[in-house]
Amino acid sequence: MWPHLLCTAIGAWLMAAPDLLDYRDPARTNDHIVGPLLFTFACTAAFQSTRGLRFVDLMLGIWLLIAPLVFGYWGEPLINSLACGLGVVVLSLIRGPITVQLGGGWPALWRTEPAERA
Amino acid sequence: MNHDSDIPPGWSYNPASWSQRLPIIALAVVGFVIAAYLALYQIRVFPTVWEPFFGQGSIIVLNSEVSRLLPVSDGALGAFGYLADAIAGAVGGKRRWKTMPWMVILFGLFIGPLGGISVLLVILQPVLYDSWCTLCMVTALISVVMIGPAMDEVLASLQHVVRERRAGRSLWRAFWGLSEQSHGGQMLAARR
Repeated sequence: MWPHLLCTAIGAWLMAAPDLLDYRDPARTNDHIVGPLLFTFACTAAFQSTRGLRFVDLMLGIWLLIAPLVFGYWGEPLINSLACGLGVVVLSLIRGPITVQLGGGWPALWRTEPAERA
Repeated sequence: MNHDSDIPPGWSYNPASWSQRLPIIALAVVGFVIAAYLALYQIRVFPTVWEPFFGQGSIIVLNSEVSRLLPVSDGALGAFGYLADAIAGAVGGKRRWKTMPWMVILFGLFIGPLGGISVLLVILQPVLYDSWCTLCMVTALISVVMIGPAMDEVLASLQHVVRERRAGRSLWRAFWGLSEQSHGGQMLAARR
């Protein structure tokens, strides 16, 4: 759970960073969009039944790593984006313990057991 | 395997138990109260709005064009959404994942899109208006926090409906909980 809560905190930081570090577009708008999305998916992935959403966080983390290249920004917003992106990629790869049984989880909805296929 | 029929097959707990649902209902009620307050400001029942951090932020956001895109304000829409969440969370007993799958799935449909719209509005505040609205963000936080805990119950209901269909029974009847009513506990016991 804690890796995903840390991702949630990074999402919140990205919402605040453009004002706190005082940087402009395009990094500003990028972080104002990625921040709330990361916050939402990481917060939801913190719960065991929706833990799979951590892979959306992973995508957002990868985006934070390449966004400075795509939009061409440097300095503080670049360092911030790379640091946050690296943190999100590493944290989202940690599944964390699953302590409950969920009847096979979401895959049970589309996975057909051999016995049932007959 | 747990033989308590309240617990879905293969689960270690009952996602429709009151201890699981009451916190979500409580959050929805808080969300409703805050959104209703914001909606009442938007129609000027209250002349001002509480904003401790962002100066004119709440006033800018709550009177923006985005907030008036629909016939009702976004605050009113949010209040309706939280009320729907609270009601859909409260209806049905602790076996509703199989006695009322339609209600559980409706609950999930209320929670999911409401969370999505809340996040969209949080994105639009700084991107379009370079402003933040504290209470709007509190309601968005509530929407987001509700998604994870609500989805396990939706999963249990979907698993139930899929299981019934794979067993050759009517998906339609399972969705509306009709198979549970007609078969009753005896059928379930016989199946085990």
